[in-house]
Amino acid sequence: MKKMFRLMRGRQKNAHLRKIWMTMKLTIILFFLAISQIMAMETYSQSTRLSLNLKSVAVKDVLDKIEEKSEFVFLYNSKLINVDRTVSVDFENQKISEILDKLFQKTDVVYTVVDRQIVLTNKADQAGFLGLANGQQANKVSGKVTDVSGISLPGVSVVVKGTNNGIVTDVNGLYSLPNVPTNATLRFSFVGMKTQEIIIGSQTAINVVLVDESIGIEEVVAIGYGTQKKVTSTGSIVSTRGEQLKQSPTTNLTSNLIGRLPGLTAITTSSEPGNDGAILRIRGSNTLGDNSPLIIVDGIANRALGSIEPADIENITVLKDASAAIYGSQAANGVILVTTRRGLTGKPKITIGMDAGFNQPSRIPKMSDAAQYATMLNENAYYSNPVGGRNQKFTSDDIQKFADGSDPWGHPNTDWFKEVLKTWSNQNHETFSISGGTSDLKYFLSLGARYEDGFYKNSANNYKQYDFRSNIDGKINKYISIGFNLAGREELRSNLVRPGVDNPSSVWRSLLHSKPNMPAYWPDGTPGPDIEQGDNPAVTTTSVTGTNINKTYVLESNLNTTILIPWVSGLSITGNASFDKSFEFDKKFAKPWYLYSWDGNADHITTPGKRGYDTPQLSENMSDGQKITLNAYVTYEKAFAEKHNIKVMAGTERRTGKIDIFSAFRKNYISSAIDQLFAGAADQYMSNDGSASEYAYLSYFGRVNYDFSKKYLLEFVWREDGSYMFPQGKRFGFFPGISAGWRISEESFWKNKLSFFNDFKIRGSWGQTGNDRIAEYQYLASYAFLKDRVYVFGATDSKIAFETKVPNPNVTWEVANQINLGFDANMLNNKLSVSADYFNNLRTQILIRRNASIPSAAGFTLPPENIGKVRNAGFEGVIAYHAKAGFLDFDLSINGSYSKNEIVFWDETPGVPDYQQSTGRPIGSSLYYQAIGIFKDQAAVDAYPHWAGARPGDIIFKDVNNDKVIDGLDRVMDEKNSMPRFVGGFMINLKYKQFDMAALIQGAAGAQQYVVSESGDVGNYYKDFADKRWTPENINAAYPRSYNRADQYWIGQANTFWLRSTNYVRLKNFELGYSLPSTLNNALGIDHFRIYVNGLNLFTVDKCKVIDPEVATGDGQSYPLQRVVNIGLTLTF
Amino acid sequence: MKKIFNILMIASIIVISFSCKKSDEFLNTKPLGEYSEIDFWSEPGLVETYVNGMYRNALGFPFALERLSSYVDESHFTHDWGVTDFNKSLFTSDDLLGWSVSWATPQTLNLTWAPLYSNVRSTNIFFSKINSVKADKSTIDKLKGEVYFLRAWTYFNLTNLYGGVPIITKAYTLNDDLLASRNTYEECINFIVGQIDSSLMNLSDTYPTDGHISKGAAMAFKSRVLLYAASDLHNPAKNSSVTSGFSNPELLGYKSGDVTARWTAAKNAAKAVIDLGKYSLYKAVPASGDSVAQNISEFFLSYGTSEDILLHFFTPKVNEDWDGYNPGLFESPNGYHGWSCNTPIGELVDDYEMKDGSKFDWNNPTEKENPYNKRDARFYATILYEGVKWRDRPGDALVMDPYSKIQVGHVFDQAGNIIKSGLDTRQGPIEDWNGGYTGYYLRKYIDPSVNALYVKQDIPFKHIRYAEILLNYAEACIELNQDAEARSYINMIRTRAGQPNLSASLTGDALRKAYRHERRIEFAFEDHRFWDVRRWLIGNTAYSQTSKIDVRYVTSNTSVTSYRQPNGSTWSKPVFSKIDVPGDARAWDKKMYFFPIMRDEMNKNNKLIQNPGY
Repeated sequence: MKKMFRLMRGRQKNAHLRKIWMTMKLTIILFFLAISQIMAMETYSQSTRLSLNLKSVAVKDVLDKIEEKSEFVFLYNSKLINVDRTVSVDFENQKISEILDKLFQKTDVVYTVVDRQIVLTNKADQAGFLGLANGQQANKVSGKVTDVSGISLPGVSVVVKGTNNGIVTDVNGLYSLPNVPTNATLRFSFVGMKTQEIIIGSQTAINVVLVDESIGIEEVVAIGYGTQKKVTSTGSIVSTRGEQLKQSPTTNLTSNLIGRLPGLTAITTSSEPGNDGAILRIRGSNTLGDNSPLIIVDGIANRALGSIEPADIENITVLKDASAAIYGSQAANGVILVTTRRGLTGKPKITIGMDAGFNQPSRIPKMSDAAQYATMLNENAYYSNPVGGRNQKFTSDDIQKFADGSDPWGHPNTDWFKEVLKTWSNQNHETFSISGGTSDLKYFLSLGARYEDGFYKNSANNYKQYDFRSNIDGKINKYISIGFNLAGREELRSNLVRPGVDNPSSVWRSLLHSKPNMPAYWPDGTPGPDIEQGDNPAVTTTSVTGTNINKTYVLESNLNTTILIPWVSGLSITGNASFDKSFEFDKKFAKPWYLYSWDGNADHITTPGKRGYDTPQLSENMSDGQKITLNAYVTYEKAFAEKHNIKVMAGTERRTGKIDIFSAFRKNYISSAIDQLFAGAADQYMSNDGSASEYAYLSYFGRVNYDFSKKYLLEFVWREDGSYMFPQGKRFGFFPGISAGWRISEESFWKNKLSFFNDFKIRGSWGQTGNDRIAEYQYLASYAFLKDRVYVFGATDSKIAFETKVPNPNVTWEVANQINLGFDANMLNNKLSVSADYFNNLRTQILIRRNASIPSAAGFTLPPENIGKVRNAGFEGVIAYHAKAGFLDFDLSINGSYSKNEIVFWDETPGVPDYQQSTGRPIGSSLYYQAIGIFKDQAAVDAYPHWAGARPGDIIFKDVNNDKVIDGLDRVMDEKNSMPRFVGGFMINLKYKQFDMAALIQGAAGAQQYVVSESGDVGNYYKDFADKRWTPENINAAYPRSYNRADQYWIGQANTFWLRSTNYVRLKNFELGYSLPSTLNNALGIDHFRIYVNGLNLFTVDKCKVIDPEVATGDGQSYPLQRVVNIGLTLTF
Repeated sequence: MKKIFNILMIASIIVISFSCKKSDEFLNTKPLGEYSEIDFWSEPGLVETYVNGMYRNALGFPFALERLSSYVDESHFTHDWGVTDFNKSLFTSDDLLGWSVSWATPQTLNLTWAPLYSNVRSTNIFFSKINSVKADKSTIDKLKGEVYFLRAWTYFNLTNLYGGVPIITKAYTLNDDLLASRNTYEECINFIVGQIDSSLMNLSDTYPTDGHISKGAAMAFKSRVLLYAASDLHNPAKNSSVTSGFSNPELLGYKSGDVTARWTAAKNAAKAVIDLGKYSLYKAVPASGDSVAQNISEFFLSYGTSEDILLHFFTPKVNEDWDGYNPGLFESPNGYHGWSCNTPIGELVDDYEMKDGSKFDWNNPTEKENPYNKRDARFYATILYEGVKWRDRPGDALVMDPYSKIQVGHVFDQAGNIIKSGLDTRQGPIEDWNGGYTGYYLRKYIDPSVNALYVKQDIPFKHIRYAEILLNYAEACIELNQDAEARSYINMIRTRAGQPNLSASLTGDALRKAYRHERRIEFAFEDHRFWDVRRWLIGNTAYSQTSKIDVRYVTSNTSVTSYRQPNGSTWSKPVFSKIDVPGDARAWDKKMYFFPIMRDEMNKNNKLIQNPGY
């Protein structure tokens, strides 16, 4: 059996540690040290006990047997050590030292144990051991082995190639090998690092830097129920390491993925603390239904991605093509696999990270000031009543006062965003982890905490998270290993209590509505009047209006075991039992607040008025959810005749879940001092409610890999999925995926001609995956109660039931037919890698309603039927370059993805003209009138067909069908939507001596947003609009005249005038770090210390201007994205 | 071979251990929030909740934010939302403008093709299932009676909007032929009347006043249906201006037949209700000490009287968001932090007679000087106007107006500059953008005892009240030239309202005019006028530039701190004048008599014929 060296980067404890402890929270450290002591007390050689019973065998066979039964590996020169000597041994549960003492007693052989490596030398040549062969000349070679950051690597195996001669580096990474033949090659190997071979020639001092294996082609990727070497994988798979994700100072992991992986689009919708998850799309949109990818965390489906601590992540892998078929009915939109970190053998390694950051909106719209706003309201009044003149609402004296600020009481000029928002809000983030272990027991334990404050002054909106993770791996015996993962977190969201529309984000609608001619605060400091319903955002963003908290507790556990079947080599069974639990508790205690009004009195006395609620009220909502996943699979791996490698995996999985919800409400609290249910009035308003839901899945899946000499690669995956969603007898679906690869670089003709390629592989795949993210129980005719609605007879509130749907007894999955072609190349000593993919997906059986062709007189909504078809095709690629020049170490990587989808079939209403049809156009296309300018005067209005009642200053709609009438037939289907077609990222990682720098420049193109504000009497205008608007004096304006909410046809009717391109390029991320030099580290007794500054969304180039181009909705009425500046440190010891 | 055997063995152990139950059984979950069809139709209690849904969908949302009154010459919708354009007759088969703003207009949105047919389907499902429900015959009969009525009510809305529509009585399934052509108007009316007759056969002789359909309600509804059917809009002798050039006039009205017979039927149907002796006007003859306005106000704030035939109740408990019903908040002036949604227009206010029965006249200097003096009592019960005392203002506003009197005017200095605007104007200090445009606010149905800022009122809406039956009867009599009989019934209404009887000399056209005036005043904001204007073919006169009231106080001060003097008196005598509501120049196109079938629906069903003008 192949032996492995274990990573042992941890340093021995040092007296200097004490200094560091002083700065730490002692209690946490001590607690964790206590655990680590228990786990790391014994080294492998001390803890391992072996039993051997062999009669009359060679010493060599004994050594082989020990290697087979344990992780020990022997290094010796067979020319010097007599291993052919015949011995008989009988040990029962002995330590290795005892065995070796016995074995070599009365010989010249001495042994040295370094972790799992045992070096056998001759007493006669204690200084080293000879590698002489054929009487060649020999030298002594020595040096030091370090990793790329300069940390010395102990335990690295240094072997003369082709022999058993070798040694391991000592605790300082030093080695010394005497008598090495001059033409020999030294092989430096270490688990997790790329093996290096160096021809020594006449050198006597060789220092070696080992690089992490994952950078090169030895990289292993997760593929679902197993892993695979990247070099022999045939699917379209990309991955990123946890390290990189830590560079973004965001509080939600999903937004860290933006721009990092080709084919993965992440669009942030909002940065509201605790509600800031990005929309994830793999290869754009593929269906008219749910486009969200499947998330698998440590093998378990549908766990939350956003709240995972980035420092806990080993890597994130994305399956983009038919390789996802292993996940069958939920894989059609791609799969994101998250693997969390696990312990590695070695001394306890403690890592502490601390970040303190500041955030602010990435962009807030510039709004009109009071004078401009008042002028525009005057214009509106004038347009609807021309005889009244230009000063019907405000006199020129008023406007003058708004402008000069001479009358702050009567004529305020308020910048609402300034009044409501802080310049910078706080966020911070702490992590603590400890990992290490022996070969029998390895552990990774972490604690994390994060906090993010909202943008508002005295914000009632913030997010806190506390999490822990404990990943433990154990080996019960040679054949049975177990893993136990336990992760938990508490998510605490504090949201705003909003009057009226109970959506915490609605404050941004209020802010846009806020009128500059109204005060946020009166000059005497009392809060000003409301916009409506008690909503003065300067007040309703604070906790004056009550508290609205959401507590979520999640516990995720997984116990797994792998059993190697002793009597069949290569056969193993793996089983998983996972139990996830989540509890949620919402509590909203809303109470009255007071706003002040001023009636114009000369004494400037303001009067409080109760707003929002008459009395306090409380609603509570609890839910209890659970998810059970059980799976087991067998894996069989075998090489036939050296060249035929076959690997088979087959298994089964079942998943069940359930959620119970309970809620209660009371109002008319006498006092707001106690916010508990009992204190509310037991009156007619008191209520409670409850509901539940459950699900079940059963699956059978498998994978067959075959390769010939690692040159011709073939993979077949399948899943037979059964889902509770479908009618009995139609619950199971079969989803196959097949892929093949050809490593042309392994062919001799290629090797001869194109040797600068280290690796070149072309690959292709085809598969069918399913999407069952559809409404459940569509096959059942059912009736339900209308929620929160009653019909009232006299004084009796009676429930209302309705027919929930017309059943579709044939409902089934959406099917994704996926084709992928791609290549992976590594060149120039693996410094340059290029990878590209073309894909063509045809999603069929999309559930859509045939209502477009069904008269509504039929009175029912047709059930969705599996008739829709969407094609989505595109390409993506990544080029990465890694090199070192002197002290400069750099990684450059550029990735880009393009995808365009088209509706191949859906239910088009008959008679719709071509230019209005959705068929043949992308998902999300919309009908717009074509804005072709502004009527500058009455002559222009008269000269062109126009909307009834159009007047100068209005937007000209194109008479598309040339019938001299502007009506619904003049609308044209526009192919762009808010989802970008092209996304890309450029990543730079530089390292120079102790400094490191990382940057992510990210961009998107091909999307647009409909940007129009609700303005007029109802609220303020964008300054951009106000400055460029048409007025009777400025008839050649680029923008139309001032409007009052939706009173103009060109506001009420969607038209292209308001579309803005959201193409952008931005410095998404920038980080600059400094690490202490190793000399200082040694002196301090630590392994690594690094401080850094980083930032998010620092700089943007775009033409969108008013709103952030990355945001998913154009109306600006949601919590914006954030810009973050952050400083942090990491300490490892 | 042995290895393969081993693999298979282990695999089967796993599979078997996982599937102790049959796999499909393991996947047998049940929706925990829904009743299966079989469970549902076996429990009469559940069926009743289904019928409740039909009540809601048929009777609609009379207290919605946007009300029918703003689509006719009763009120102006402050927030526009496309209502103004609708009233300019600009709607098309692509866009019903304000009528179908999905997020805000449940009342009008419900009065369109698709939701009405959706309710038709509910009734059809009910009839296809009800016979299998096991319950007492009386329970089944009651439910049937209600659903027949609700189906008739729904079809009546459809015919009022579109003329003849496809009569569908089958609960379609996926495989049915779904293309139905329009039935004639006459067929539709016959069908509706037939449904009402079926309803009457199933309903018992009880007269619940809790909002359930009663026999009386069905009879009263029949009177309305027959009255509408006999009206000019559907009378081939009168409606040629609407049907001319249209190849299918039978879809819009009767093609021939005896109009006298139709009016007679309408008259008899009304008489049948009267003859029940079950209903009477509330305080039909005011007692000597009564304030008539008070009588009428309390009638509209009551939870049921002898006059009520079909009520629609509400509850303060349900939080129906802001698109549901909350008339107190929706209709209150901005000076009460209300939303001023549907504000009475000047034309309606001017139509209220003087107390002595004479017409109000702006050219009469005395009346112009004090326009709200000595008017029809119903004016005071329906309209809030300058200076009238209303419920106490909310805290912050109360400081500015401790008298809680409506303020829709402005205080001017000598130079003609506004130095103080009323709290309930669009220049007021409180939510000015929520201020009404007309200078009037709605009082009818608004409960002053409730602080609408925080509490929803639950006053029921009166779908049918006895006064309508009396006036329906009178209208039929007029059309049958039985003028004296008509006058006596109109006078019952006038007596209750404290107005003098109609002159006995009033006959023919003049009487018809007086009758239509009486109906407008009596039923203002009760969802009658929108239909009356159409069936009487008077769209031309009802849709024109609307007017508002301009109220001015002029003071010699250069600035004032409050709208009224500290002692409560005004700064001067108010000066009233009637001016235009800006932007509300309504215009009538005869196509508006019927709604368009939407282009989409026409495309989906080639058997449909579009109404004229679209």
